[in-house]
Amino acid sequence: MNRTKAIGIALTSVLLGGGALALAGYSLASATPHQTAQKCVPNPTKVGHCTLTISSYPDSLAGGHGKDGGAHPDWVSYLNQDLSVPANTVVDMVVNQYDGGEVLNNIFFDQVMGTIGNVAKYDGVTLSKVAPDHVGHTFTLRGYPGLNGQSGKRIFLNVPLIANEGENAVKIGSGEYPKPVVIEFSFKVGSKGVYQWNCEYPCGSSRVGQFGFAMASYGYMAGTLTVE
Amino acid sequence: MTNSNDNKKSLKSFYWLWAILTALGIAVSLYAPGYLMPESMSQTMHLSVLTMVVFSVAAAPVAAGVYAAALYILRNWTHKGDSVPAAGPAFRESGKVVITWTLTSVLLTVFLLIWGLGALAADSAGSTANPLVVKVVGQQWVWSFEYQGQNGTTVMSNDLYLPKGREVLFHVTSLDVTHGFWAPQMGTQVDANDETITDLHVTPNKLGTFDVRCTQFCGLNHAFMVTQGHVLTPSAFTTWLNAQPARS
Ligand SMILES: [Cu+2]
Ligand SMILES: [Cu+2]
Repeated sequence: MNRTKAIGIALTSVLLGGGALALAGYSLASATPHQTAQKCVPNPTKVGHCTLTISSYPDSLAGGHGKDGGAHPDWVSYLNQDLSVPANTVVDMVVNQYDGGEVLNNIFFDQVMGTIGNVAKYDGVTLSKVAPDHVGHTFTLRGYPGLNGQSGKRIFLNVPLIANEGENAVKIGSGEYPKPVVIEFSFKVGSKGVYQWNCEYPCGSSRVGQFGFAMASYGYMAGTLTVE
Repeated sequence: MTNSNDNKKSLKSFYWLWAILTALGIAVSLYAPGYLMPESMSQTMHLSVLTMVVFSVAAAPVAAGVYAAALYILRNWTHKGDSVPAAGPAFRESGKVVITWTLTSVLLTVFLLIWGLGALAADSAGSTANPLVVKVVGQQWVWSFEYQGQNGTTVMSNDLYLPKGREVLFHVTSLDVTHGFWAPQMGTQVDANDETITDLHVTPNKLGTFDVRCTQFCGLNHAFMVTQGHVLTPSAFTTWLNAQPARS
């Protein structure tokens, strides 16, 4: 085999290999659902505050996962998961908790941490801690604003959502739920970046530590908080 | 005999190349770890950086010899044309060369072994009878740290607070999959395993903040399983500890 031909074959295989990798990467990236982030609504009466309302459900029937709950109608879910807030604001967050619950695997998360005053309101009652055997999910937001090293304002926020034990009373999407437990808390965000949050109550069933399925996939018990 | 003389003369460029590359390698070995490795905040990390420097310096002449030989061979012994080249002189028959490389290799590896065992022993041994015990709990995808508070209470935190100058004994564990507890500036890293407690000692010797990361791929948010450590003066540490709410 002459030299030119050998170089030609080598180059072609490198290009073909690179192309195959690029194709695989592109199709994986486009297969990941991209939802539009839910925006924090500026509060007209409180300067520098915005309000963000999300909900937690015992299934995926309340909407946002496609017709009849999509691929996994029985997976627990938050709506929405991807959130967006303006930089340097106070986020007044409201979580409507529709799901039941049980025991945390780490009592560390029964405490409200990182909110203003380290407290949250549960149906109007201000608490800094809830019963660890009565938790539905947690909203746990943490880390640095981005992957680019450990810089920027670090956040560590944890709000346990107490278990809802009411009878079914409302219809949302194709699901039926009790009246929600309403949890309110506020926290400050700094400059631009993306934070990650997830639930720290073992609600995923299967796999080690009940952290499989809904806990191990984006779109259910984990999401992002983009500060922009 | 003219042939052997020619060979000796021509090896001069190899020796020069070897010497220059060795000097370059030693210079890089002495300075690079200081720039590339995290700041040292404990004797353990100091020993890690020192080990890196010493091993790199020891390896420099070996690596330089390999590169110098490769460059020298490429430059002087490249065979041109499509014919099969004649076999060269048999290197293995030179007793002097064989003894030199065997002895050098043995000395280098024995040195690495002795140094390594010494460093391992220094790392594993607890030195004081009364270390500060901190339970390190990894779980998907948050770290939490447990301390003994006042009157037998438990204190928990997401930030890792340590006093300067006191030995800390970490009891590292996990509540689910395997995580890796890594504090780069402390020079400590160990796996956090479910239903297992792994001991790890360190004595912080510098005030400031340090990183804590997970080093075992542990699922969805593994890349975000980070937190911050703080080395405080002993009195500031006590003040912090006493200000924390009791958890049990
Ligand atoms: Cu959950
Ligand atoms: Cu981990």
